[in-house]
Parts: sequence; C-alpha cells; structure tokens
Amino acid sequence: MEVEKGKTAKYLKEKRPVPKEVTEHLKYFTKTKKQLLDALKEGDKTVPQLAEELKKPKEEVMFQLMSLLKYGYVETGEIDDNDEYFYYKIKSNGKNKS
Amino acid sequence: MKTLEYDVLVVGGGIAGGEAALNLANIGYKVLIVEKELSIGGKMILLSKVFPTLDCAACITTPKVSEIQRHPNITVFTGAEPRKITKKGEHDFEAVVFQKPRYVDVAACTGCQLCEEACPVSVTDEYQFGLIGRKAAFIPFSIASPRAAAIDIDNCILCGACERACPPDCIDFTQTEEEFLVKIKSVVVATGFQLFDPLKIPRYGYGQYKNVITSMQMERELAPTRPFNTILRPGDGKMPDNIAYVLCTGSRDKSVGNPICSQVCCMYSIKQAQLLMGALPMADITIYYLHIRAFGKGFNEFYAQAQEMGVEFIKGKVGKISEKENGNLILRYEDIEAGVVKEAEHDMVVLSVGILPNRGIDEVFDNEKLKLDPFHFVDQSDILASPAKTSIDGVFVAGTATGPMDIPDSILSGGSASAETTSYLRRRN
Repeated sequence: MEVEKGKTAKYLKEKRPVPKEVTEHLKYFTKTKKQLLDALKEGDKTVPQLAEELKKPKEEVMFQLMSLLKYGYVETGEIDDNDEYFYYKIKSNGKNKS
Repeated sequence: MKTLEYDVLVVGGGIAGGEAALNLANIGYKVLIVEKELSIGGKMILLSKVFPTLDCAACITTPKVSEIQRHPNITVFTGAEPRKITKKGEHDFEAVVFQKPRYVDVAACTGCQLCEEACPVSVTDEYQFGLIGRKAAFIPFSIASPRAAAIDIDNCILCGACERACPPDCIDFTQTEEEFLVKIKSVVVATGFQLFDPLKIPRYGYGQYKNVITSMQMERELAPTRPFNTILRPGDGKMPDNIAYVLCTGSRDKSVGNPICSQVCCMYSIKQAQLLMGALPMADITIYYLHIRAFGKGFNEFYAQAQEMGVEFIKGKVGKISEKENGNLILRYEDIEAGVVKEAEHDMVVLSVGILPNRGIDEVFDNEKLKLDPFHFVDQSDILASPAKTSIDGVFVAGTATGPMDIPDSILSGGSASAETTSYLRRRN
C-alpha cells in the first residue's frame, strides 16, 4: 500500500469504520457550540443565564462553555454584582467562524 | 519482533521510576522506561503545588522529565506496557513490550497545536479529570513530556483535518501497534497508584451532585494550567465561598475494601485549603477529619499554619451528603468530640480520595511470582534492611507501587531502588 504523507486518514477509514456514536457526539457538540455562541452574540451571559436560555442543565453548559473558553472561542468578562457568577463573551479576536 | 537490549527496564515513568532511571543512567547503565500514559511525570506533573513547602509541582517535575528525555542513556516508550517479563537467569531477563500507536511521529512533532485547533471533535479531557473537554487530536497537557500530539483514535472521525493542518506532516494514521523483545539484566517496578473512585460511596453523591468533586479535580482547579478561569463550581460556574473537605474518602474504610491510611490526604487537603484561602480570600474552608496525620518533616507546622490562617478543622465523620435546589450541599456528620449528629451547609465539597494500588503488574511476570502484600501493593521482601527488594531477585520496586507515600518518600524510594539495582548488577555470580 502506497501511503501519501498528510493524507493517511483515508487508509485507516477503510480498515476501521467510525462508530456511529462518535459522529453523533460530534454533531451534538457542534450544535451546542453554535447555540452557545449565538446566545453570547446577543450579549455577555453567565452560566445560569445560558442554561435557562438553552434549556440545558447548568453543569452541561458549564462543561461546554469552559471547553469553548479553552478552544479560544470565548473569554471571561466581569463578575456579577454579588461576586458569584462570571459573565462570558465572544472572544474579541476569536475564532468564531459559526 | 524487534529485539532491543538495555541494562535495566523501569516499568512506570512517574517520579519514582524517573528518579531510579536517572540515577542508573548517570552511572552508565542503559535504561528503558516503559510508561503506559502519553507523558512521563506520573501524577506529580499534574499537581498544583506540593506540601509542606508550597513549591510549584511543575517547577520540580518539568526539569526532571526533560533531563530524563534528553539523557543519552535513557530511552522512553510512552503509551507502552510490558505484557510478559521472563527471568531466564541471574542478570538475564526478557520482556515483551507493546506500544500503542500514537498516530503521530513524536520526533517530527513540534507541539504547535495546529492539529488541535483543526480537530472538530470535543470529548472529555481525562488530564483535567473530566472538568472540561479536549480535542481528539491533542497534546495531553501543556507540560507533557514528550510535548507531542496524539490522536485519540476511539473518538476520531478520521476527517483528516489534523493532517491537513500539520506543517511537518507528522500525523500518520498508518501506524500500528508495535511489539518489542527487550533483553535486560534487571527490572525496576514503579507502577505507582490509582486514586479511589468515589462513585463507590453513593451516599456522598459524587457524580450525581456536580458540586461534589475529588481532590484531584480541585488540584487541577488550583493549577496554573487550570480548566476554568478561576476556582468555580462545575455545577453552575459559581465562585464558591464555603468549601468543605471530607477526609478519608476511600481510606481507612473497610466497607470499601481499603482499611489502610493513604498517608497523603491530610496534608494535600491542608495544602489545598491554604491555596484556596489565597485564591478566594473571602472563602470559608472546613476540613472534616478523623485524625490529622501530620507526621513528616515540617508537616505539623504546616497544619498549624493552616489553623492560624483560619481553616476550620472539625473532628467528624461525614455520613451523607445531599443537595439543595441551589446546588449547595448539606453534610450530615457525626461531631466526634461532641458526640452528636449535626448538619452543615457548604457550596462545594471536595472528597479527599485515597490511594489504591495499580493492579496487574504481578501477572506480567511469567515464570516467577512477584509477591503482593494483602492490599495488592508490591510486597517488600525485606522491608527494613532492603526496602526495594521484591520476591524476585533482580526485580526491585520503587515509589507508591509499594504502598501509599508522599513525594519526598517516593523520590527516596526511587533512589533506594536504583542503589539496590546497581548492587545487583555489579554482583558477580
């Protein structure tokens, strides 16, 4: 088998089909990411505010939002008046391509 | 099968195995370290600071791991495990070592992270203990050694985006598992420990109540390479101001099959309490304990320092944790000194989880028996006179593979294993 450098994924794909749950998981992440970024485009929001808007559990929003922070889509804003919850916002020089 | 030759095989590249390997390599022995994770450095490399000096863990570990990687007498296999070790005679061992494909040419990878950026997949990051996501093409953590990408093939959709983004073309999906026959003269077992899984104590609500976390998760929250922007509750992102520690979670507890003390939980909890008081100056920290074991050099002073800083210590056994609607937690505990059952509310709970043995290394030895102790740690056949000796002549043990111990003791134990290995190698038959 002749292998072309930089294009090797297709060789493994022939031998090892991608499980359905892996593609489903990706779809879910992509959808949630879009929902979170769309919600933040309207203004800075806290985790409980985003959870209410997206009708998702707060812990799930926290996990996904912190992942987006790590991946460079989102940044931390001010903390609320009670010093409890941070606001999060779209990263100003961010990679938000959605 | 490719055949390799070394003087010593070190199983496990944590601080104990690393220390043993460095000492042996420095006196001229050729050493192979076989590490099952994608990076060497063990558990210590993931810690924030260490007790009782509050030195930065990464500042101690990173120079060590980089010395190991660069040492001309040390070869490191990551993502690898010995599957069979046979003693053929004195100073004559053979090991069959398997290495999982990383799908990345480690030597060519520059650690630029462009593959990470390109990867569309997000899954749970095991190196942040589940608090956050990571990509399927990823560098395990920022100070990983080797600092090279890896592909999590079980979660990869094989879209090829990482390959297209990689400047040196170092991603290679054609890699397969490799098997090596390694001839060595001696073996050091430094297989370390695993943390107690608090899901085994359902009454503490771990997994169900998201603001109940483990001490290792708090360790990550405190580290400079933390998952969140600061210390936050994973349940809703609130900055906590009233944190409780539950000591002896999974230690000194016959009901979960681990009756022994894990030796480090008191001190790491006191350390975290001090760090939290620095990070969250307004927060109250309460430690629920059975006995505080502050036995090492400088430990009792460190405990006193925490008390002076205002950490509250309650001698109490926590029976049950329940959750309020706002995510706060009610701890029902026996106040041992007052002899009454009480309840207290906290907004975050940290379970100080204990240390358990990493199982399975005894099954790797083929024709001789590596004896384990009653708690499944490697048995030290001559614990007082020769603590690194095992039941097999020529096989030595280092660090927490022998039982729970702290970092200074693990390094001492690694030193002891290297000295005894040297003595064995220089012994003429």
